[in-house]
Amino acid sequence: MRRRLGLGFCLAVGWIGLVLLAALLADLLPLARYDETLAGPPRSGPSLAHPFGTDGLGRDVLSRVVHGARVSLGVGIGAVLLGLGVGAPLGILAGYRRRATDAVIMAVNDVAQAFPALVFALAVVAFAGASLRNVLIVLGVLGIPSWVRLIRGATLTFAEREFVLAARVLGARDRRILWREIVPNVAVPAASYAFIGMAVVVVAEGSLAFLGLSVQAPTPTWGGLINEGRTLMEDAPHVVLAPSIAMFLTVLSFNLVGDRLRAMTDVRESGLEPVRQAVAAGPPAAAHPVRDTLLQVEELRTHFVTPRGVVKAVDGVSFTLDRGRTLAIVGESGSGKSMLIRSVLGLLPGSSVRDGHVYLSGDDLTTHGPAEMRSVLGRRLGTVFQDPMTALNPVRTIGTQVMEPLRVHLRMSRRQARDEAARLLASVGIPDPVRVLRRYPHQLSGGMRQRVTIAMALSCRPDVLFADEPTTALDVTIQDQVLRLLHRQREERDMAVVLVSHDLSVVARWADEVIVMYAGKVVERGPAAQVFARPRMPYTEALLRAAPRLTDPVHHELRVIPGRPPDLAGLPAGCAFRARCGYAQERCAIETPPLSAQDGDGHRQACWFPLEVAGPDPATAAQLTRPPAAGAPAPENASGVESRGR
Amino acid sequence: MAGSGKAHLRPRDDVLLRVEDLVVEFPAGRGRTVRAVSGVSFDLARGETLGIVGESGCGKSSAARALVQLPPPRSGSVRLDGVELTALRGDALRLVRQRLQMIFQDPVSSLNPRRRVRDIVGEGPRVWRLPGDRVDEVLEAVGLDPATAAERRSHEFSGGQCQRISIARALILDPEVVICDEPVSALDVSVQAQILNLLEDLKARYRLTLVFIAHDLAVVKNVSDRIMVMYLGKVCELAPGADLIARPAHPYTRALIASIPGGGSGLPPADTLISGEPPSPVSPPSGCRFRTRCPSAAARCAAEEPQIRQVGDDHWLACHYPALPVSSKE
Repeated sequence: MRRRLGLGFCLAVGWIGLVLLAALLADLLPLARYDETLAGPPRSGPSLAHPFGTDGLGRDVLSRVVHGARVSLGVGIGAVLLGLGVGAPLGILAGYRRRATDAVIMAVNDVAQAFPALVFALAVVAFAGASLRNVLIVLGVLGIPSWVRLIRGATLTFAEREFVLAARVLGARDRRILWREIVPNVAVPAASYAFIGMAVVVVAEGSLAFLGLSVQAPTPTWGGLINEGRTLMEDAPHVVLAPSIAMFLTVLSFNLVGDRLRAMTDVRESGLEPVRQAVAAGPPAAAHPVRDTLLQVEELRTHFVTPRGVVKAVDGVSFTLDRGRTLAIVGESGSGKSMLIRSVLGLLPGSSVRDGHVYLSGDDLTTHGPAEMRSVLGRRLGTVFQDPMTALNPVRTIGTQVMEPLRVHLRMSRRQARDEAARLLASVGIPDPVRVLRRYPHQLSGGMRQRVTIAMALSCRPDVLFADEPTTALDVTIQDQVLRLLHRQREERDMAVVLVSHDLSVVARWADEVIVMYAGKVVERGPAAQVFARPRMPYTEALLRAAPRLTDPVHHELRVIPGRPPDLAGLPAGCAFRARCGYAQERCAIETPPLSAQDGDGHRQACWFPLEVAGPDPATAAQLTRPPAAGAPAPENASGVESRGR
Repeated sequence: MAGSGKAHLRPRDDVLLRVEDLVVEFPAGRGRTVRAVSGVSFDLARGETLGIVGESGCGKSSAARALVQLPPPRSGSVRLDGVELTALRGDALRLVRQRLQMIFQDPVSSLNPRRRVRDIVGEGPRVWRLPGDRVDEVLEAVGLDPATAAERRSHEFSGGQCQRISIARALILDPEVVICDEPVSALDVSVQAQILNLLEDLKARYRLTLVFIAHDLAVVKNVSDRIMVMYLGKVCELAPGADLIARPAHPYTRALIASIPGGGSGLPPADTLISGEPPSPVSPPSGCRFRTRCPSAAARCAAEEPQIRQVGDDHWLACHYPALPVSSKE
């Protein structure tokens, strides 16, 4: 889980360490005394004896910069610790307790934050006297409001999480929950902010010192050194440059470390990480005969190069689709079904490598540039995604969003577009469409929002509608309405539909053809009724069996698929499903089964030992063959409780 | 329906959890309140699994959290083994919570990303300073290998494995009641089956009493002895699973069953049984809350809230005009 920290981060840490060490050991280092005048000739440039030269009084600049670091770092670290020490408990309290505690703390905090900080600092230091202690306290106190805000925000995001609720259910006291569950999670953003805070304080101390309001002479500070050297700029610029560069590098390093720490907390562990090199996705696909179909996908491959290896998200998928047909693509998460859709549409992250062909009415989309692809996407290929809330822009009205494709692609006037939008909304079953046009997405229910995205996808009369888990985020009664709607629109508009789902039973009723995916490959395909009634690939069969059905008896032990889907970055040789397959034999580990047909009915499977035909033992195979009842497209033939053996 | 009443509570000795007139409210902004749960009653016998099913916003999760008093309900009574939980405060409440554990929907969010599995699962015994180390035992019980799993953090596990860890954390305190709030709805179907079977095994092994909440009726039916159907904060129907599926009496139950794809329920198509969308819980309809979407709603449904009544052997219903003539077996 170690992430690459980068050279910049290492250099920054090195510099901070060096400055810190020098500041701590300033008295032990073989340096001239910082206040010894005429240690060398005044205003002399860098030399062997005085690497940074000498100032106007002949004092060693290196020694003064090193001693100045004591003040800068001391104030920086001290003020941040003070701000953290006071701000963090208040922030955690506000974020965890919320309600009245939160209201009071944040009200006081807002007032404090509204105070002009620099004026306050100047006033206090001028009044109480310029000493290391006073500067540290003033800068520390000024930082408290930001700390409260930051820590409160971080606490809020975790206090809502279920693991905090779980700890309370276990009976843990608040103090224990704070220390065990909240603090460790807040610590990382706090550490990141501490470094950035130190950079701010170092600059602020420098500014105060420059104005003569920090630690007084003879103790050197960086800001003070710059101030002193100001008059010598012309004949001895090194006197100003040395402390300036030291300060610049220190501030830069603090910021770099802080940013890097924050980036580390932002990145969640995900399978896909940015590519480091581009490689070809495999041998170039051979030219395929272009058939006379609406959509033809040939040997489509999408690979990602990640630090863990090449992830074959889509691995050689081919299919064809005609008007008036629905193709369902099913598989579990990580099977590559959504990535297949995105590969067909050319909507892939930049780090991917795509290979193969996508023909739309004989026209190869993979050769299209971005501009050509945009016009195809809007007009000929429509898309509906899982979460309608993220597919819609929350700050624009439904009307402007539905009208946009009409105006851009069909070049309608405002009035025409508005009428057409209302008509579209009515056609997807939205009551009172004219009023809905003026509403915002958050004012509609999930089902209504999904109807709106369907209306948008249909607006330019696409040839193919791609629906990626269109009902997964919806309630079951609404789910049925939306699927009916998609089906009706397909009939009315004579288009083709590609329906992606993890739930076989959802697509069973509405699909003509089915593709079952596993580990980026098609493992079974064929007419829907046949695939669901008589699956041949053990994976399809297991998926169908794993979902509980209403007709199962109560407390019925479900057939499980042992294990979990394989890691796409390190697929074993042979069949990817074999580790979870009850029928796997030696051959499955050696050779990858091709997608092959048993007879001419279009039903194909990628399996060496397909069910029905050559199970390991004919009795088991017969027992496993599903009765044609549930899952079949006609639900009325499947009434009554069906009992199955375990 | 969506009706009220307590006729269905059983005067049995083995009732472990009894909930009466539970009301849960949340502020909805601008001074309004949402009644997420409004007057729900149910009971749970020792060793029984009660399934609660309904769509989003029906109040099933709010009811579950009110059981563990997080947050406590607005009004109503929750009695565990005769002890009134809503009256308890502070340490007394903490002590009782040990007996009532919970499993949540989101397997990732349920586990602290910065702690090791051993610490997450061992938290309960540490809170209560219990002797002995049962972490390995419960990890094995949920099907994880303690040697490889215990020292790792949650991001190294899949969703199904995270859910197993959550279950181990709930089990280690030897709870009497485990409330499972949509425990499998974030999981793939192949993993879902593993977790459902695991819950059934553990229930037998540790003699658990379960409240199993889900939106998927087929999943609920698989594990539940009795199923309670909820709609917009109210109870619609309560019956043993097989009976509910075979003889659904409430129009909403019928619509739920018919909406399940490929269910083979023998019911007419779902679009003839339910229309439109759920109304806002901020201003629910008068009378029966389901009437705005119900094909058999009549004037009486708007005027009068249906009360829960018995329509069969342990089959309870809150509807003025049940969609099927239900023969009540006396």
